[in-house]
Amino acid sequence: MTLVTADPFTMWHPVASAHDVPYRHVCHAQLLGRELAVWRADDGYVNVWENRCLHRGVRLSIGSNDGTELRCQYHGWRYANRSAGCTYIPAHPADAPARTICNRTFPSVERYGLVWSGEDPVGEPPTVDVLEAGTPFGLRNLPVDAPVELVLQHLQTHRFLPSGSLGAESAEMKVEWPDDYSVALTATDGADRSSSSASGSASGAGVPGSASGASSTAVFFVQPVDSGRSVIRAVLAETPPAGEQMAVLRHHATGLNGLVARIEAEAARLPAPEPMVPVLQQVPLHLAEMPEAPSGRQAALRVQVRRKWETATGVAAFELAPLSGVLPTFQPGAHIDVHLPNGLVRQYSITNGPGETSYYRLGVKLEPDSTGGSVCLHEAVREGDVLAVSEPRNNFPLRRDSMRTILLAGGIGITPLLAMAQALDRMSLPFELHCFAQSAAHTAFSDVLDRLGSSVVRHLGLPPDETVAEIRRLVAAHDEFTHLYVCGPGPMLEAARREAAAAGWPDDHVHFEYFKNANEIHDSSTFEVALARSALTVTVGSGRTILEVLRENGVPLPSSCEQGACGTCVATVIEGEPDHQDVYLNDSDHEAGDRIMTCVSRALSDRLVLDL
Amino acid sequence: MIKLYDYVLSVNCYKQRLMMSILGVEYEPVPVDFFPGWEHKGEEFRKINPLGHIPVIDDDGYILWDAHAILVYLAAKYDPSGRWYPTGDPGLLGETASWMLFAEGTTNTASAARLCVNLGYDFDLEACQAGAHRLFRVLDEHLWFRERGGRSWVCSGDHPTIADIALFPDVVLSEEGGISRLDYPALRRWTDRVKRIPGFELMPGIFPASPGR
Repeated sequence: MTLVTADPFTMWHPVASAHDVPYRHVCHAQLLGRELAVWRADDGYVNVWENRCLHRGVRLSIGSNDGTELRCQYHGWRYANRSAGCTYIPAHPADAPARTICNRTFPSVERYGLVWSGEDPVGEPPTVDVLEAGTPFGLRNLPVDAPVELVLQHLQTHRFLPSGSLGAESAEMKVEWPDDYSVALTATDGADRSSSSASGSASGAGVPGSASGASSTAVFFVQPVDSGRSVIRAVLAETPPAGEQMAVLRHHATGLNGLVARIEAEAARLPAPEPMVPVLQQVPLHLAEMPEAPSGRQAALRVQVRRKWETATGVAAFELAPLSGVLPTFQPGAHIDVHLPNGLVRQYSITNGPGETSYYRLGVKLEPDSTGGSVCLHEAVREGDVLAVSEPRNNFPLRRDSMRTILLAGGIGITPLLAMAQALDRMSLPFELHCFAQSAAHTAFSDVLDRLGSSVVRHLGLPPDETVAEIRRLVAAHDEFTHLYVCGPGPMLEAARREAAAAGWPDDHVHFEYFKNANEIHDSSTFEVALARSALTVTVGSGRTILEVLRENGVPLPSSCEQGACGTCVATVIEGEPDHQDVYLNDSDHEAGDRIMTCVSRALSDRLVLDL
Repeated sequence: MIKLYDYVLSVNCYKQRLMMSILGVEYEPVPVDFFPGWEHKGEEFRKINPLGHIPVIDDDGYILWDAHAILVYLAAKYDPSGRWYPTGDPGLLGETASWMLFAEGTTNTASAARLCVNLGYDFDLEACQAGAHRLFRVLDEHLWFRERGGRSWVCSGDHPTIADIALFPDVVLSEEGGISRLDYPALRRWTDRVKRIPGFELMPGIFPASPGR
């Protein structure tokens, strides 16, 4: 019975106890030779990750758990709850980390007061009848410098007294084997001494002895830490009365300490086994090579509308949950494409705070001149519906290296800025979030804003000229350590950009995101586009876009809004003069002329050479 | 103002900096070229401390050496609440003294291992490491039961004592001496709690804890 036959790599094992993972702590664990960082986010989820920062291999168990993200102590890379995706790299404050930068995660399930995980576990963690039927009570875990098999072998002979009769001289022990890595021992006081052949009977697992005296069953799960090291994690089937718990815990600790001393003495006489060498995941091919550019608008995810509610007058909020597994990592400022039942594709910012990774929360304003997007979401999409959405894309990244951040939100423009404000708040970075809205009833996500306290300033019911005056006041003073982020209706955004420029703000400190491109697009020109990498030259005629013509010629380019607002279809210009018609790039970018939005912009010169 | 004869990488000097920072006591550090200069072994320094070791404090002419003795003095003199060195509670005071002696053990094992690895001291490294593991096992179990009893600190009161300060640096820097704390989860949780004491100060090799919930 003590021979371990199952493949431990396909099994679930306990890796920590629930009390080893209090909030805001990172537990250091090991299973089958592999080190793990185990931490509980503020939403209760227990993350089990490879204990290794992707950047320099430093242990994440010395990192800090801020309740939503784990931050590596070495260079401050931050990783999201659940997905383990990187959300911020301090050395590249202006860039959004690639979604592919993601730590290795292992499954986690809490059961019987233990955190279960595994290398590649099949099915569910074990269920043990006696614990299912009882009120499980965890004992103190004991690390043992000995192999699992030796620990299991010795556990068969382990003795303890039933919880109710710690004063007894001895108890009858019954041994059962729920599975290869656990032993269930039942101690019964006052059992008939004549039938003391005791151990070994395997049938009826978990049914307490029928003897008249007190009886306690404890299940001892043995965690294979490494080839020569284990942890005994014991769970009593019944929780003792509150007043007796300490005595019971002491009783078991004393007994197990003695057992561990005997096991270790024997292990010390045996030759030490070779330590296990965990297989570190190789960099997968798709990351090692130049990524294949996705073409068109991708909708790789299926999500379900978990909740829909009116968060403000004319603003519907949606919580989109994954159908299975976890959602891809998002960063503040990111948006997703939502593919609507009527065939339209619309972009919406993710409003979640850091660590809120079990759903994406969107806010959608019903536009009076809706061309079908907001009407469809408001009227046709209901709770329970399944939608196709793209993975998050961040073309509006938030720097977190400024001494002060000013966020200006106009109406529904609050959505990306809300995610930014929550991230800054969590990191204790100073910021102001100015919300311009018609009235309190028109302010979306007021509950979230309330939680951000005095950093939020509401400007309600201002007429346009007073809005401009207020913005002028807000951006009057600036320094090189302050960054400005603006999102809102076109006129408000134009005003903010104009006032900031007038006050002397450099372009690269003013970040903005338009809802849409209200410019009239001039598409009558005809020009040649040469692709430097692809050795291909195409002609873009009047009425066509660079993006369309390239796609027809088999050159894949990602896109999202396809109206020059979101920045997804950007290409690098090597030669030629672009005819910019987008609202994504700022004036300095337009002047520099080294990037172009291929969905709307064209060429003033006869020929453009692009780095594609 | 108190003068602290100090070396930034010394755990025993750090214990004093930590205590004074928590108590809000101003002091003037006097850097001693401990490594590689061995200034504390020189003739000049032995005029201050004939034993030739640091830390030493000079509190307006009152000279005191020995890390754990200085903690007793600092807490007794500069903690008006009387909780860091609980002279008003004989039971708690006894516990504090007991764990201060235990801390001599962790200093002589865990911190000695760190001196071997970092500064090339000629101690028996394996013996130091094995000794530290023996003590850490005891301390981990002790702290686990403290948690179960609703307590956070080494002694049984609801407030930390100088015993926590004496033990903390030996424990938290043990990995520099090749002593993993993988097997001591309760000990690791306690180091987070110490890091969240108001006025907590860092030293090289010690990282801050995230804010508590």
